[in-house]
Amino acid sequence: MIRFDQVSKRYEGGHEALSQLSFEVGAGEMAFVTGHSGAGKSTLLKLLGLIERPSHGVITLDGQNLAKVGRAGIPKLRRRLGMVFQDHRLLMDRTVFANVELPLMIGGMAPVERARRVRAALEKVGLLAYERQLPATLSAGEQQRVGIARAIVAKPMLLIADEPTGNLDPSLAVEIMDLFAEFQAIGTTVLIASHDLPLIKRMRKRVVVLDHGRLVADVAAQEVL
Amino acid sequence: MNTQPEIPLNESPLLSEPHSRGGRHRPRPVASWREHHGWSAAASLRRLMSRPVGTLLTVAVMAIALALPLTFYLLLGNVQKMGEAMGQNQTISVFLQPGQSAASAHLMAKQLRERPEVSAVAVKTPEQGMDELAKMQGFSGALHTLDSNPLPYVLEVQPKADASADSVDRLVSDMHGLSGVDQVQDAGTWRQRLEALLGVGQRAVLILAALLALAVLLVVGNTVRVDIASRSEEIGVLMLVGASRAFVRRPYLYAGIWYGLFSGVLAAGFAVLVELALADPVARLGQVYAGKLHIDVLPLWLLGAVPVAAAVLGWLGARLVSAWQLRKAA
Repeated sequence: MIRFDQVSKRYEGGHEALSQLSFEVGAGEMAFVTGHSGAGKSTLLKLLGLIERPSHGVITLDGQNLAKVGRAGIPKLRRRLGMVFQDHRLLMDRTVFANVELPLMIGGMAPVERARRVRAALEKVGLLAYERQLPATLSAGEQQRVGIARAIVAKPMLLIADEPTGNLDPSLAVEIMDLFAEFQAIGTTVLIASHDLPLIKRMRKRVVVLDHGRLVADVAAQEVL
Repeated sequence: MNTQPEIPLNESPLLSEPHSRGGRHRPRPVASWREHHGWSAAASLRRLMSRPVGTLLTVAVMAIALALPLTFYLLLGNVQKMGEAMGQNQTISVFLQPGQSAASAHLMAKQLRERPEVSAVAVKTPEQGMDELAKMQGFSGALHTLDSNPLPYVLEVQPKADASADSVDRLVSDMHGLSGVDQVQDAGTWRQRLEALLGVGQRAVLILAALLALAVLLVVGNTVRVDIASRSEEIGVLMLVGASRAFVRRPYLYAGIWYGLFSGVLAAGFAVLVELALADPVARLGQVYAGKLHIDVLPLWLLGAVPVAAAVLGWLGARLVSAWQLRKAA
């Protein structure tokens, strides 16, 4: 599903966020990317979402070379990804329902089908009862769950999350991670950047460890202690 | 409060077909495109209505900018019409040399009547001239002291209303050259001056209209720019979840169209008010002149075209600014 081949990313100003990174994530796999802050976790996810472009190397996503995706092709690619952010990035002036509906509306789905999908997604994250509320009336954990519902509502081929539990207390964080594991269980490829090592260990999934933009360890799920 | 039907998990659309690609649902590009246009038009209107004072101020500024050239155009049209109405009553007076006989005066009148640009020629005898002078205050006493009538025969030549200025000029210079003619008095130069002035006025209205259209464009552009800037976060989110630029831009383009449409309607309303305010004084002026002068109102098609043109300007302003700003955001 994901293939990084000798990928480097140097930002303007010379800071090298990733250097010669190579790894693969198979379809249906769930993996964590970890490392201390500045290790390149966020950059890695940004490259997948075409928010940034690599300086060197080739990134392949579902068989497609991302370098060949032009500016006009970015929206189409992003519609096949589900992205979850630490600060959830919800539209605060629209209801929970409207927030989750957004990707489907952009995708041009018919309203009836849209409503069905949005409710299914909200049900999955346990927020069906809140569909008419504004995000601001929800707790931080609930807001993050709305963000996850939005990310999965269009059935993405890949779900990527950047520190999705960064702002949550430990019990809520576990809940959110379990949610991601459930999406993996139904076949979605999941890639999560997190520096919360205890939580990652608890999940018993593959862990990719970065340090100063280099891959320093790649631990298979069964080897996670 | 929650009345939606429960969706059984095994039938949940999320579970039934995981991470399917591409054709997840039947593509319906036209229907969804139309749907989003409808949504954008309604949403942008709601946003404008949600801050009525700001919207009203913007619309009022634009409306005044549009109403100014309209009003000038209205005034110009009416001055032109007055000029024409006065011009129709205008005659060229040909003063014959003293001592010309009645017969030669009538012969000359007959020859002039045969010219195509001449509508009528009246012969005024010295006696008639004397009577006219006598009627004027202050002259009667002085005229009695004259032993003989010093006035010449005068031909009052009326050019045809549709005669061109050139042909009237030629007529005047031809009459200058006729033997027995002393002088030709033509008020036509006055009319030409008015026409030249109106030509300047017309050009000025065009330039003014272009400048004020630019002002409308800038006002819309700036308003939409501020709007986009205040919603940069929302635009960022939309783009992250896969919205195309056309999708993101659409509500702002509709906002531009609404601003234009509203200001155009208001400007047409202003112009009608100006017409109503001018109708009375113009009618009074008409009584002084030909008696049949009344205000020439703006044609209905023009009043109807103003909102349409303003909507196009609004769209254009929003289009230019949003293209530039979204490129910056991306």
